[in-house]
Amino acid sequence: MKKSLLWIVVMVLSISMVAAFSFAGCKAAAEAAAAVAEETPSDVVGTLKIWDMEVDNAFSASWGFAREEFKAMYPNVTVEYEMKTFEQMEQSGKMFLNSASVPDVMQCCSGLSRAGMYASEGLLTDLTAVAEARGWNDITPPSFQTTCRYNEQGVMGSGNLYGVTNYGDFVMVYYNKDMFTQYGVEVPTSLAELEAVCDKFVAEGIVPITLGGLTGWPIGHVWWELVLYNADRELINNYFLYTGDVDFQGEAFASGAEKLAEWATKGYFDPNVNGISYDDANVAFVQGQTPINITGGWMFGSFLEKITDFDWGIFLMPGKNLNQGSGGDLWVVPEKAKNKDLAYAYIDLTLKEEAQTIMALVGGVPINADLTQITDQKVLDLNAAFSTIVANDGMAFYPDWPVPGYINVLSSNLQELLAGTITPEEFNNAISIPYNEYKESRE
Amino acid sequence: MTHKDYSNNTKIATLKASSSLKKGYMVFLIPGVLLFLLIFVFPLLANVVLSFTRWSGIGTPVWVGFANYMKAISDSNFWASFKNSLLLVIAVTTIPTLIGLLLAGFIFERIIAKFGRGIANFFRGGFYLPQIVPVVVLGIMWRWILQPNWGVLNLSLKAVGLDMLARNWFGSASTALPSIMMMMIWMQIGYPLVIFIAALQRIDPTVYEAADLDGASWLQRYFYITIPLIRPEIFVVVLTTIIYVFKAFGQVYVTTKGGPGQATIVPSYFSYQNFFQRSLVGYGATITTVLTIIIGLVAVGFIRMQTKQEQEG
Repeated sequence: MKKSLLWIVVMVLSISMVAAFSFAGCKAAAEAAAAVAEETPSDVVGTLKIWDMEVDNAFSASWGFAREEFKAMYPNVTVEYEMKTFEQMEQSGKMFLNSASVPDVMQCCSGLSRAGMYASEGLLTDLTAVAEARGWNDITPPSFQTTCRYNEQGVMGSGNLYGVTNYGDFVMVYYNKDMFTQYGVEVPTSLAELEAVCDKFVAEGIVPITLGGLTGWPIGHVWWELVLYNADRELINNYFLYTGDVDFQGEAFASGAEKLAEWATKGYFDPNVNGISYDDANVAFVQGQTPINITGGWMFGSFLEKITDFDWGIFLMPGKNLNQGSGGDLWVVPEKAKNKDLAYAYIDLTLKEEAQTIMALVGGVPINADLTQITDQKVLDLNAAFSTIVANDGMAFYPDWPVPGYINVLSSNLQELLAGTITPEEFNNAISIPYNEYKESRE
Repeated sequence: MTHKDYSNNTKIATLKASSSLKKGYMVFLIPGVLLFLLIFVFPLLANVVLSFTRWSGIGTPVWVGFANYMKAISDSNFWASFKNSLLLVIAVTTIPTLIGLLLAGFIFERIIAKFGRGIANFFRGGFYLPQIVPVVVLGIMWRWILQPNWGVLNLSLKAVGLDMLARNWFGSASTALPSIMMMMIWMQIGYPLVIFIAALQRIDPTVYEAADLDGASWLQRYFYITIPLIRPEIFVVVLTTIIYVFKAFGQVYVTTKGGPGQATIVPSYFSYQNFFQRSLVGYGATITTVLTIIIGLVAVGFIRMQTKQEQEG
């Protein structure tokens, strides 16, 4: 008798324990739901959750300033700021946007495989009306609209406005002025002259171009610049907007891959290039070991701060109009965000002249800064270079945008191209397959 | 020498208690079973089901039958990843186990005898340290060691005049996988070592005395007596190491990310790329399902072999 009573008590306790846990979960969910249903008045009490990916550079300085301005404007709003890494956003961004712990405003990469995909799946708020009402369209250059608008298939260039960009980004050639002077070479004005400069360094036993092959994607920036020498706006539109077929064995792609392979055999890169990471490659430039570094504007602020031993400058890859670059990453407001008005207020502040000028001062390429305040010639050169691209209608974006996960395909095949284990034709064939597969799957 | 046979008494006692005992303990299993279902069974089933769909991670999955499996069969990355995994399993199971056996014998017999337990524990702990440090930290450390231009390994080789052995370790297709093997072997040695030292402690010393009386050398004693006696531990070490290496992810993620080219791609990393970067959740699930099946077969095979050996022995 006693034993069966004990058994009943234990059964009841176990069941009630399990039930208690599940009801506790339901209750918490119910409370959260109630909180969401509550309206947050736009300038009194609330929270603003901001996520971005920048640290120690022009963007983090500018947006940090905007956050301080925001806190001053909304003293009763708690600002929850989190810095995420590029990889975190790339890999888990979709899950964040689909969850209950979604941020109110977040930095998002442009292009089909990121912002476009999120927009097409209904994860982002349509900002078309808000942008009009708050005057954002007046601040953003028209050429930036391409990366801010996405249609139902997630293709950029048309459709509703899902993102707001507040800076420009492009790939350029950073060079060591002292080393150039020391070896008697000048800033090149054509591709042939650039190659002659590199030949000179090779002859002196110096590796001309620093490159982080181990990390993979940095090779893509150099390769795409080389492809652009024989590309035109039609190819760019076909490639990124799927407006027509892309001939991966055509002149642009063939010459790009051949040129990159040629540079590798001529010794323009370190012989161990696939064993050197992106960080190592930048360190080699900063320490004055390698005179040329072909990479993007995101490194400018870091170089401004860290290069103290020698004089350096930038120039665009010479002899063409198309240049890798775009409007920068976008501010997006997730559809499930709870504090959208506060998010819009924050975006306002990042677009205002004060925050934008700070971005310029620390080496960014803003769109709304007071450039008369800039005294550093390098920063002026940076902004001038970007203006040149915009004036020439030269934005050629970044090559991994058209296909989700294309960055891996490009990276691993580019590593093989550099190592000489595949030919340029094999390379172009290898990268065409996932591109065409994806394009067909969209139709 | 006689001893009382207590076995019948305990059998009777067990039978008497069994009916009420059985009813009692089932109840206590409920929380454990629930957790097991929630954390293990349901996700596993979900994964298998997802492998028959096409899904980007949000929205609704679309049933595609065996399409993902057909795709895997014709995908060179898929085969490359399993080939690399097989090579890793062979290298990282056999070499650390052998080294562990020899080191365990050496530490247990020589070090403890000559220097005492303190020193022996120091070495045991030291060899085991890589097992405790997070894989990410070790991966970054090895990336620095194997950096081709200023890494410690190449600099040391050059310093002693062995330049020709210096390599582009992670950056060259021919040495990338061996470099990962090297790193994983180094990380893995402590695990068999610790288990074998414990195993050696349970061997009856009288067996060794008998062998010494018969005139066996250290080596003969080790191979003909010690190793057969710790066979159960060897089985466990080999099985768990095989499973661990099959699932290896962090080591590739932090160092080569599957490169250069396809030289170091492994199934778990390839699956991860498909899940998160290419948003091909169905295809990623296919790869992990195949991996699970392979590991399951290997585990079952091993345990069968071990049970058979135990029954014979």
